[in-house]
Amino acid sequence: MAANPEIYFEHDRLGHALAWSAGLHVVVTAALLFYSAIAAGTGGSTWGSGGGGEAIGATLVSTVPLPAKPADAKNVLANESKGLTQSQPKIEEKTPDAIAIQGKNTKIKPKKKQETASKEKPLPAPEEETNQVAFGEGGPVSGPYGTFSAGGAKGGFGVTGGSGDFGTKYAYYVHALQQKVSENWLRYEVDPRITSAERVYVTFDVMRDGHPANVRVEQSSGVPSLDVSAVRALQRIDTFGPLPGDYSGNKISVEFWFDYKK
Amino acid sequence: MDIKQLKREPALQSNSYRNTIFSSRVHFPPKRMDDSAGKKFDQPRIFRGSIVAAFLFAICFLSAAAPAQDWVKTGTGLGVEKVRLAVPDFKPSTTDPQNAALLKTFNDTLWNDLDVSGVVELVSKSFYPLQVPGQPPEVNFLAWNVPPPNAAMLAFGSLGVSGGKLTVQGWLYDVKNFQSPQILGKQYSETASDAAARLMAHKFADEIIFRLGGGVTGIAETQIYFVSDRTGRKEIWAMDYDGSNQHQITRIGSISLSPRVSPDGSRVAFSSLTKSGWEIMMYSLELSRTVGFPHLGGTNLSPAWSGDGTKLAFSSSRGGEPEIYVSDASGGNLHRLTTAKGPDVSPVWNRKTNAQIAFVSGRTGLPQIYSMEADGTNQQRLSDQGYAVSPNWAPNGQFLSFAWVRKYGPGAPGASDLYLMDIASKQWVQLTHDGGRNDFPSWSPDGRHIVFQSSRSGKEEIWTMLADGTKVQQLTFTGRNTQPNWSWK
Repeated sequence: MAANPEIYFEHDRLGHALAWSAGLHVVVTAALLFYSAIAAGTGGSTWGSGGGGEAIGATLVSTVPLPAKPADAKNVLANESKGLTQSQPKIEEKTPDAIAIQGKNTKIKPKKKQETASKEKPLPAPEEETNQVAFGEGGPVSGPYGTFSAGGAKGGFGVTGGSGDFGTKYAYYVHALQQKVSENWLRYEVDPRITSAERVYVTFDVMRDGHPANVRVEQSSGVPSLDVSAVRALQRIDTFGPLPGDYSGNKISVEFWFDYKK
Repeated sequence: MDIKQLKREPALQSNSYRNTIFSSRVHFPPKRMDDSAGKKFDQPRIFRGSIVAAFLFAICFLSAAAPAQDWVKTGTGLGVEKVRLAVPDFKPSTTDPQNAALLKTFNDTLWNDLDVSGVVELVSKSFYPLQVPGQPPEVNFLAWNVPPPNAAMLAFGSLGVSGGKLTVQGWLYDVKNFQSPQILGKQYSETASDAAARLMAHKFADEIIFRLGGGVTGIAETQIYFVSDRTGRKEIWAMDYDGSNQHQITRIGSISLSPRVSPDGSRVAFSSLTKSGWEIMMYSLELSRTVGFPHLGGTNLSPAWSGDGTKLAFSSSRGGEPEIYVSDASGGNLHRLTTAKGPDVSPVWNRKTNAQIAFVSGRTGLPQIYSMEADGTNQQRLSDQGYAVSPNWAPNGQFLSFAWVRKYGPGAPGASDLYLMDIASKQWVQLTHDGGRNDFPSWSPDGRHIVFQSSRSGKEEIWTMLADGTKVQQLTFTGRNTQPNWSWK
């Protein structure tokens, strides 16, 4: 059986090239692995971890003095809360069965629809305290109290003006105030070992020209660094903007609370 | 922690396509790297020969740099929702033929000012009811404070020309507050012109932002100074913060760089090539001519005003290597702050305290950001690697923005992007991601915006963005425009 010499010839050349290719790949692989081992040994592994591993500034954006994007972390569509609206169970409307024509199919008798309808009573509404706002479903707060959240941590406040209706009359000012405090609260100042803490209450006054004064911790959280971060948030603020021109009082008092949770 | 991580797609249009993939892949956590690797390498476009090599590269870099990080765009810290503000077009209050053009200018300017302010969320005009108010009695609260507009605030008013005089009346209403809705009511009047309409819109926008933004004055009337070569020579130019009204400041006919406007807005310091080399020059915006500043010899570059406007810091090589010097605003009382081996350039003051200066130093090789006290003591290195230049201190003194090539050198292709560092904690965050060379950040006086130079459009132009990296806008389009500097007020 005489084989085609050309086939052998080509086969031979291909094998040669394959050998070269394999050899080169091995060499390149070895070189790269060698290089990576050296790079790893000479500080290559510290890339991106400047300043001893504290370089990841992922949460920093929150401290840029801009109102951050409203991001609802909680999924209002799928949480465990029963919600505010107490839905009545739907009453099933029975479609009347077709009345058989006599003699067509004698086995099927017309059903008595009246009985089934009267038996089905609406279930009692799910028990829930009516004044309780389910978590995440309260909607925007309209009153003088409000909350904000910052990276899992929350804060809230109450405002008391001279006549007591400052929050409703100048809701925009309260909103701006709330925004400003949350912008200036740097969560990284809190001891990183703390994962959650009691609520800390801070009270302060906003003077006529808008600067905060008399900042003090009213009720400590028990975590000194959290207390300090809350006070510093207010000390960092120069002004909230002058109080509304037609407001008669000289100052407003604000109670601001901070909930810290990692 | 509810951090949203957004993975950036590599820029497909660039020639360094494959490099881009690798440089960004290096930082991905291993799990996601595998996902993207699988997708990319299935593409037939990539040559087969390089697949093996690429895979080996990926393996090697994985082993070498696995603990590194991806850049992260966070959704944390999110806090308070922005106020939803509806701004229907102002209505004509007279029947003058000039009204239409001026109304367009006014409405566009007002909308843009509020849109880029970063303080409010504008309600899309397509949600507005058909009847928009021009006067307070015409406000129908129930048409605005419920969906679809669901606005919390309503800015409205009227504009009219009568007898050559342009009058604008504007109101800001809290439409969820029926008892006392009015927050602001303003009237402006001036000789009718396009510039006047623009100015009134700026003023009204600033009033709104001042009230809704917690007492921080708006920036609608600020200026941006920059270098442009559109006349053929690099001269100092100025424009409004939104890019309108671009006009030439200097006519020196040489090369002028790094304009820095004084805190009171009366003078611009810059460096210019003179017969005796690069010297600091001073231009008076009040006199519209250059005023005297001593020639110091050597190469003098990048002047920087202190926050009180009494001092000027700059780099000078009059003693050999470039070092940081400080002088009075007149150029007298010159003294040297740095003495380290290697060049020290690009000083910038902490304008809040006037007690610190950040600068760029090449004392360890590649340029890095350093900070020191205003007397030259306590020099500290802030950036830890790469190639970091152009520091600029935020008005609140808390942040430093700078341009940084984090991985610089052969085999480490990195882009020049803008970063923001918190001085106290040395945490940083990347602001620009969109390709091109991004450099020369400069803060707006309200601390909410940054203007910078970017080549992402093909050539160097001036861009602005909010200080968190969003709302990026191109301001200049003709010639090459570089080294922007935002005025102080």
